[in-house]
Amino acid sequence: MAVYTPAVQRLIDELGKLPGIGPKSAQRIAFYLLRAERVDVLRLADAIRSAKEHVSFCQRCWNVAEGPECEICADPRREAGTICVVEEPRDVVAVERTGSFHGRYHVLQGAISPIAGIGPAQLKVKELLERLQPEAVEEVILCTNPNYEGEATAMYLARQLHERGVRVTRIASGLPVGGDLEYADELTLGRALEGRRPVEG
Amino acid sequence: MHVERLWLSDWRCWEVAELAPSATGITLLTGPNGSGKTNVLEALAWLARRESFRAAPRDVLVREGAPQAIVRGRFDSGGRALLVEAECNVPGRDRVLVNRQPVRHHRELQASFPVSVFTPDDLAVVKGSPSERRAVLDETASSISASFAEARAGLDRVLRQRAILLRQASGRLTAEIEDTLAVWDRQLSRLGEEVAARREALVAALRPAFESAYGRVAGERGSVSLSYTRSWSGELDAALAAHRGEDLRRQVTSVGPHRDELVILHAGKLARSHASQGEQRTLALALRLAAHTLVEEHVGTAPILLLDDVLSELDDYRAAALIEAVPSAQVILAAASPPRLGIDVATTIDVREIGRRLGATQGGGGGAPLVDGGESGTPMCPAAVES
Repeated sequence: MAVYTPAVQRLIDELGKLPGIGPKSAQRIAFYLLRAERVDVLRLADAIRSAKEHVSFCQRCWNVAEGPECEICADPRREAGTICVVEEPRDVVAVERTGSFHGRYHVLQGAISPIAGIGPAQLKVKELLERLQPEAVEEVILCTNPNYEGEATAMYLARQLHERGVRVTRIASGLPVGGDLEYADELTLGRALEGRRPVEG
Repeated sequence: MHVERLWLSDWRCWEVAELAPSATGITLLTGPNGSGKTNVLEALAWLARRESFRAAPRDVLVREGAPQAIVRGRFDSGGRALLVEAECNVPGRDRVLVNRQPVRHHRELQASFPVSVFTPDDLAVVKGSPSERRAVLDETASSISASFAEARAGLDRVLRQRAILLRQASGRLTAEIEDTLAVWDRQLSRLGEEVAARREALVAALRPAFESAYGRVAGERGSVSLSYTRSWSGELDAALAAHRGEDLRRQVTSVGPHRDELVILHAGKLARSHASQGEQRTLALALRLAAHTLVEEHVGTAPILLLDDVLSELDDYRAAALIEAVPSAQVILAAASPPRLGIDVATTIDVREIGRRLGATQGGGGGAPLVDGGESGTPMCPAAVES
């Protein structure tokens, strides 16, 4: 097997550690970077370095932040008293795009999954419970993914939160808006049927 | 539903092959051992299920030295022509076209294109471990209902998570382990109750079909029974709670649908340990026939029936009775020896005459690449498909 010079091999190895990048893609990206303009490549390196240096996690909600608090926690217009619990920072972006939530978030940094070696202690659960009193939280919306791990996490949190007398809700699952029933998969349609609501008339 | 014509290229031992089974009745596929009969049945079943009934790894499906295998079939589904084409890529993903349109979800195809397979390995259903019998139930329930397949997959996932959690606990029940175990147990009991209840309903539906199929093949009635035994009594969550200490100690989940048993009795005794080899084979066939009938009732089309060398261990009477009991659908029967008394064959195909096996180098008819008609508008037909 051909061996690259150590510098190239190191670059390939590092790229190969990124999510979704296999050995073939790592090689392709490495050679792209070697061929690309020096300024462009250094700009990328600089972006990585500066993101890593300036971006940390919000001390309150564990979302990504530049500074001690994220933009959402620092925004005085956000309603205190309601917390939306999500698994990852990218889920915050997803909920924010809806524009229908005006409270604050809490990012767990994952979901309970013994296979991945993640239990409640590896998640920001303690940090969530510690926010309830000082922020006078009335409702916690459990917005974890609708898979078995997300469901397990929601059940676990629900129990912990109920003990502390907070209203706990779980996002509904159902049909995509603007879609046709005909194209919905059976499981989603089944869940939507279970979660049906009375219609005023 | 029946297959009018089947083309293989670079499938197992076949470089190219082409055959046209009879639309109704029995098509007999003959040829000596090792001439590629089972490979033909396997290709047709793979086209429907995208899985080998011999549980073979994917890379052996493609002829050695070939980049990919292609299986094409032209079907008649209640008067509607269906051209199903599938490419088996190793490495890589399968590509499937139905009437030149790509199919994304495998389930879409499976429901409209059922296939029942009987093989000599079915003996394991009676003789083998309980997991073999549960697998027959799950396979049948999944081809009737997609939501069962979903619950079944979820059950596997939750059981795996729980098993790893038990291992991580290494015998000690800390507060955190207890709370985490509780959430997996809740999901396990919900999914477990659902899977068990649906398997029980399936067994209840299979029972009369099983008894009558056995009666017809063996010529005796009422001496067999089928029942489902849960590994727990009462509610599953209570049973899980009761076994928690034991589960922690042994680091396994000791109750749940993964420990249930499909009990097959013959003359009042466990067929697994007490029936003779010939009886066991008859019982396995009766169970397959019953499942086949049930799927036909639910899906609305009779599955294509593939019988791989199943007559060889039956006596003449039972072999003839089996063929008699087989539903009126299209049947393709592979056998090394010529048919015996009382078996009415519609077409006989000598497998040595359907194509070219390993060795030759010329390009062939069925081997044209798959052409997606979605964009070009006018589908291009490979020569073999037009003929």
